[in-house]
Amino acid sequence: MSVQNEDTKRRDFLKGALTGLGLGTFATMGIFSYSPMREFFLPQMVRKMKDFGACKSIKITNISETSWFDNATLMGDIKGAGGLLVNQYLFNWPPFGDGTGLAKGSYEKGIAKIKHLLPNKLEEAWKIAEENSVNPQNAGGFAALIEIERLDGVKKKYLLDTGWSYAWMDESFKREGIDKMLANGEIEALIISHEHWDHFWGLPVTMKYAPNIKIIVPEGFYPEGFQYIKDSGHKGELMVHKTGINDIEPGLCAIVFDVPIINRVFGEQSIFANVQGKGLVSISGCCHQGIIQFISMAKKELKYDNDQMYGIYGGLHISPFDDWDPKYDDLVIGLAKWDFKAIGCNHCTGLLTARKFVAAGYPVVQGTAQHRSKSKVYLGNGDTMVFG
Amino acid sequence: MMETPLYLEERSLVKRFSSPLSILLNTLFIMVLFYVSWWIFQDPRGIMRMYTPFVGYMWCRWLLVVMIWIAYIFDFWPFSRSWLNNTHPVLKGVILTTLTAVIFAVMLKLFFETLLGEYAITYFSPERLTKEGLVEFYALEYSAQAILMFAAIASWLSPAWVVAAEGAPWGNLKQPIKGFSIFIVTFLLSFIVYFVVYHSNMGILFDPWQKFAAVTPPWWEDFAGTVHGNFNIAWVMCCTVIVWMHETIWERYPFSMIQTPWIRRTASFFGIIAIAVALSFFLYYAQELIWGEAIRGTRRDAAPDWRWLHVGEMAIFWLLPTLYMHFYLKNGFNGYSKVVNIFLRTIATVLAAIALYYVYYKTAHLFLGTQKGFSHPQQFPMIPLIWFINVMLINYWFMDGWPGWRLAKVGEVIKVRSVEENGVLTASFYKGAVGGIVGGVAVYFAIIYLLPYMGKALTIF
Repeated sequence: MSVQNEDTKRRDFLKGALTGLGLGTFATMGIFSYSPMREFFLPQMVRKMKDFGACKSIKITNISETSWFDNATLMGDIKGAGGLLVNQYLFNWPPFGDGTGLAKGSYEKGIAKIKHLLPNKLEEAWKIAEENSVNPQNAGGFAALIEIERLDGVKKKYLLDTGWSYAWMDESFKREGIDKMLANGEIEALIISHEHWDHFWGLPVTMKYAPNIKIIVPEGFYPEGFQYIKDSGHKGELMVHKTGINDIEPGLCAIVFDVPIINRVFGEQSIFANVQGKGLVSISGCCHQGIIQFISMAKKELKYDNDQMYGIYGGLHISPFDDWDPKYDDLVIGLAKWDFKAIGCNHCTGLLTARKFVAAGYPVVQGTAQHRSKSKVYLGNGDTMVFG
Repeated sequence: MMETPLYLEERSLVKRFSSPLSILLNTLFIMVLFYVSWWIFQDPRGIMRMYTPFVGYMWCRWLLVVMIWIAYIFDFWPFSRSWLNNTHPVLKGVILTTLTAVIFAVMLKLFFETLLGEYAITYFSPERLTKEGLVEFYALEYSAQAILMFAAIASWLSPAWVVAAEGAPWGNLKQPIKGFSIFIVTFLLSFIVYFVVYHSNMGILFDPWQKFAAVTPPWWEDFAGTVHGNFNIAWVMCCTVIVWMHETIWERYPFSMIQTPWIRRTASFFGIIAIAVALSFFLYYAQELIWGEAIRGTRRDAAPDWRWLHVGEMAIFWLLPTLYMHFYLKNGFNGYSKVVNIFLRTIATVLAAIALYYVYYKTAHLFLGTQKGFSHPQQFPMIPLIWFINVMLINYWFMDGWPGWRLAKVGEVIKVRSVEENGVLTASFYKGAVGGIVGGVAVYFAIIYLLPYMGKALTIF
């Protein structure tokens, strides 16, 4: 056999080997990757069962779930500004309106017009904001009062979020007596779920009554957000919760998710309560991380009574703008397996979602549709829900 | 009749400057062109802000499809070879890009929004959706989503018919008969595939589910773990990527070994689909190995629907370095035998794709105006990546690689189209192939064993 033939053979062998390598790799990808055999290599879930205590009961009062009053107006602004990824501080929405029009604003120019009036001259500040802002009449806000009854009977209060419009939030605070609770120091802390306009920009209303209150924000706040806390007149402790589990008090913890959200906001914290003898209650401002994400994390990380997902309260961020997507159907279908006993939802959950929950037979707690809340499928403004 | 080579196959490009300078110059040129055009058209902080995101996404997919039509299906008809050879590249680029945009605008406004949207299928028309009570923003996004999905399918089928099916049975016809024949067939095929893989997604986008107009829940629900059409986006996007692998760095190998034309064409066309499906399953599995099993109903990076979408996104990360290597590095590895070259190119582009993926997620939000994180519902890395690919195509297809390259003068370069290695398969080849297949299986299991460790080591956020 000649040397040339040996070379040819080697070349052919190499050619065959490399062709086979590609074929073998792609064929195994196709055959193995989505077969039941793949589960062999998947990591098994190890439940950590972190014990964060228990409480006797949780009562939630919805101060305001109406973050904006008209979806079409809000989405018109977002569309006009250039879509869902435009930085919220650029919109020229109140209170940061500077008179230059939609999507041409900035935190610095906006706050300069009202900073000197914060936190005590809110009516005057809001009037200036109204004159300089885009669609100021559409601003509302989300805020809820969480009352926890400890196992020894002692009750503690936390404010979850502080809304958007100074005028609307002040009205809502007064309606529910939050103004007095803040002024009397009855509320332990203000927990901000995330930096969005409708949960955070009403901060001076809380500062007006309790400038020394402890504020807890999730990791991911932008410099503008931290500056606004200072500019609003805050003089108390500011705590930044890191991604993951953060204890608040026995039976109550916050979980921070490093979740990207529209209008450049990043990071959200939601709350869990372990109600003795009942199970786990999830409480959220917007739940951008997704309610099933939220509860599946709890299943992995936390220990709770009866190993039962007991209740949900809050904005669940499914179809907040009258929008829909097939993945939301996945959520509506997927929620069944968690066997919740009581669901109270509002705000960014979306009315269509709430109606689909009802149609699916979930235990949705009805509201009263009062104080400008639109539907009884929501736990609306002024409505309460008790777990335990 | 002899098959006429495409202008892009016939054309010879030579560098104007020494090797690295031409490459660096063009790299800089396309990056500047990308960023300026991104700012003007797409960037949420820029001028037109089409990244809403679906409107911008639709635009960049459609520009891609129309460019493929112009270059691959119509072979630049009605422009003559002499016009293509003698017009200044910049002028040519401007004219052909403008033509691309005009054709797309006509398709969008006349065909989709008016003809289909006003007279047949509501969701293709944003005006009709608005009249039905949808918020204007979502009416526009939903219709854009449907129109872009058609483009996603067409951007796989259109080139596949030319490069895999070799334009059969019209390959020997002259333009524009050949172009119109392939255009009509691939357009109709795209519609059929669209109805099978995406119409149901649109049917359940509205409440109540449009069960008399679409199959609801869709046929893929149990297999995919979601009712979302993203399941189909995964393999369709992989098809789009594999068809260009096949045409560029793989030089149509291994299907080019098949001597009988109809078998080669059939094997190429369906082989691309088979490879794409295998790739999509693997990329889904890779996410499970790194992030854990997807849970139905979750959001973001834990959700099956997003995982399927991300399969397509990951595939596009592979396409960009592949096209760059093909266009500007002359396929990179050419010094060995064809199969070794292909092997090295594949490895190099996969490594480049991984590096690009890491750098993109680490930094893109800082300069593209997009959101930080993997899985924001409005964060589609496909948009900037395809926009970048569009810029490369404009530069390479429409501008002859100006400023670093130019058309060769007659007699300056002898164009050799590689059709070698179609020889008889020997016993040595088969022996090697058997060993290679065993090796391929081992490589696969080594990768899936290592992926969880790599995932932990390469934490991006």
